[in-house]
Amino acid sequence: MGLSVQALSFRYPGRGEAALDGVSLEIPDGCVFGLLGPNGAGKTTLISLVSGLLRGAQGRIEARGQTGLVPQDHAFYPMLTCRENLHFFGAVQGLAGAELERRVAAVAAFGRIEGVLARRAGQLSGGLKRRLNLAIGLLSEPEILLLDEPTVGVDPQSRAFLLESIRALARPGRTIVYTSHYMEEVQAICDRVAILDAGRVLASGALSELLHGGQRNLEELFMQLTSRSLRE
Amino acid sequence: MMRRLRALWRKEQLALSRDVHGLAVLFVMPAAFIVVMSLALSDELRGGGGGAEFAVLSADGGQRLAERLAGDGFRAVAPPPGEAAARDAVRRGKPALVLVVGQGSPPALQLLADPALPPPLLAAFQQRVLGVVLADAFGVDLKSAASLRVEVVGPSGARPSAVQQGVPAWLIFGMFFVVMPISSLFIVERREGTLARLASMKVPFSLVLLGRIGPYCVVNLAQAVLMLLAGMYLVPWLGGEALALPARWDLLALVALATSLAAIAWGLLVAVCARTMEQATLIGGIGNILAAAIGGIMVPRFVMPARMQAFAEVSPMAWALDGFHAVMLRQGGLAEIALPCLKLAVLAAALLAAALLLQRRQRP
Repeated sequence: MGLSVQALSFRYPGRGEAALDGVSLEIPDGCVFGLLGPNGAGKTTLISLVSGLLRGAQGRIEARGQTGLVPQDHAFYPMLTCRENLHFFGAVQGLAGAELERRVAAVAAFGRIEGVLARRAGQLSGGLKRRLNLAIGLLSEPEILLLDEPTVGVDPQSRAFLLESIRALARPGRTIVYTSHYMEEVQAICDRVAILDAGRVLASGALSELLHGGQRNLEELFMQLTSRSLRE
Repeated sequence: MMRRLRALWRKEQLALSRDVHGLAVLFVMPAAFIVVMSLALSDELRGGGGGAEFAVLSADGGQRLAERLAGDGFRAVAPPPGEAAARDAVRRGKPALVLVVGQGSPPALQLLADPALPPPLLAAFQQRVLGVVLADAFGVDLKSAASLRVEVVGPSGARPSAVQQGVPAWLIFGMFFVVMPISSLFIVERREGTLARLASMKVPFSLVLLGRIGPYCVVNLAQAVLMLLAGMYLVPWLGGEALALPARWDLLALVALATSLAAIAWGLLVAVCARTMEQATLIGGIGNILAAAIGGIMVPRFVMPARMQAFAEVSPMAWALDGFHAVMLRQGGLAEIALPCLKLAVLAAALLAAALLLQRRQRP
């Protein structure tokens, strides 16, 4: 098992309702796991707890290996060049010398950003920013990679590239948890899926198992489970 | 640990070096204040004041008395035809002073003064009048009294010039403005999710804060060097007096370091408290201006009333000014700067602790 979450509950201080309410998930090693849910379902809270960003949850999280987070925001320094960003985030994770150089070169090649390493990150296009964001998340070579809506705001070409790259990252020893609002993306690259709403797991399992009830696709299943009412 | 800290310092140094507006605030603003205020107050603090015109209105014409009162910038002019005309003339400031000598023995003296005349000039003229009266009554030679030599017990044996007083004051003011780049870069990091990413990489928040201290200390010390150079070369080049450097550079650096730590810690607390750039500008900017106004940066403490002087002690800028004055004006030693430096260091520690606690409360 790559990642196991057992009866996880979490409430933000000062808020009445629980953000997560008894969530249990078993995510096999080497799979791409899609985490779906409307706004406020608890997806970001869940991956924040798994990555250690949030503390104070009830329940149990067992991760086999190091976690790496690729946040939804462009979480890097716009005034620094891409190379300076990669060096900085590598160094604060304890990398140095030849090993740091090797990893910077490897993630830059993976994200196909070698040609813009000398450019300031703030001047990049939306697609390049997403690729830099992903590259930074890969510097530590994590066994569990948490991707929070990594394709928001990119053109179709960059999206296709990102999806292929993410799919290529999955291998034995590396598990990928992928949150998105784009059902077709999840259907295209994920082996297993969980649908969350109001902090609870509504459905979880392999795509083929979930789509056995006559639904034509994941979006239909999603709308059926979460209802069509608008969310905050 | 040190590798991560070095990476944070390097990142902050790169980010700061590319923040042109932030650097302009830190270096150009205090230098401009030093030049303008040193030139504007040069006469005031030298005790000169430029002098004024005066007239003596007396039944005997007052020419002899006017000759005796003239000198040291006070110039005698022809008296107005009567007291009413004298009042009109003084109200217009031409001349600024009229001494009305009454009838009788001894004659009653009345001094009419221009409301715009600086108080030190008025006091100086009053002393000249009393000197003449004393000379007549007791035979004291006015010239001897006027030539009383004043020695200020300080580095140069002369009264501190405006630049000597102004450089430390505006340097402190500029140093505390690191609050602006510290908070703006921090808010960008929080808004863009970079702080969250660092937390997910298990970088302790205390290390993130420490990562600011080194680069901004360097900036503050660079400010100190540049402001001293401005006082030494720029102000005299523009017609003011040159700054005289103290003998103890090490003590000056110690006071600058303590001031820097307090300023950076203040910046970090504002950065953690403020949610937006606007809030940071408001809290940091107004906080600095208030501390400067209270602490004797904008208005020297010696011209404040006693209650305000006591109140000035609450401002960290006043502590820093005490430290700088101890080194730059009084040639003090370690014992003289120990208390202000200790107060600044304790404040820095308290502000850092508050920033850490606040961050811990904000993040579940």
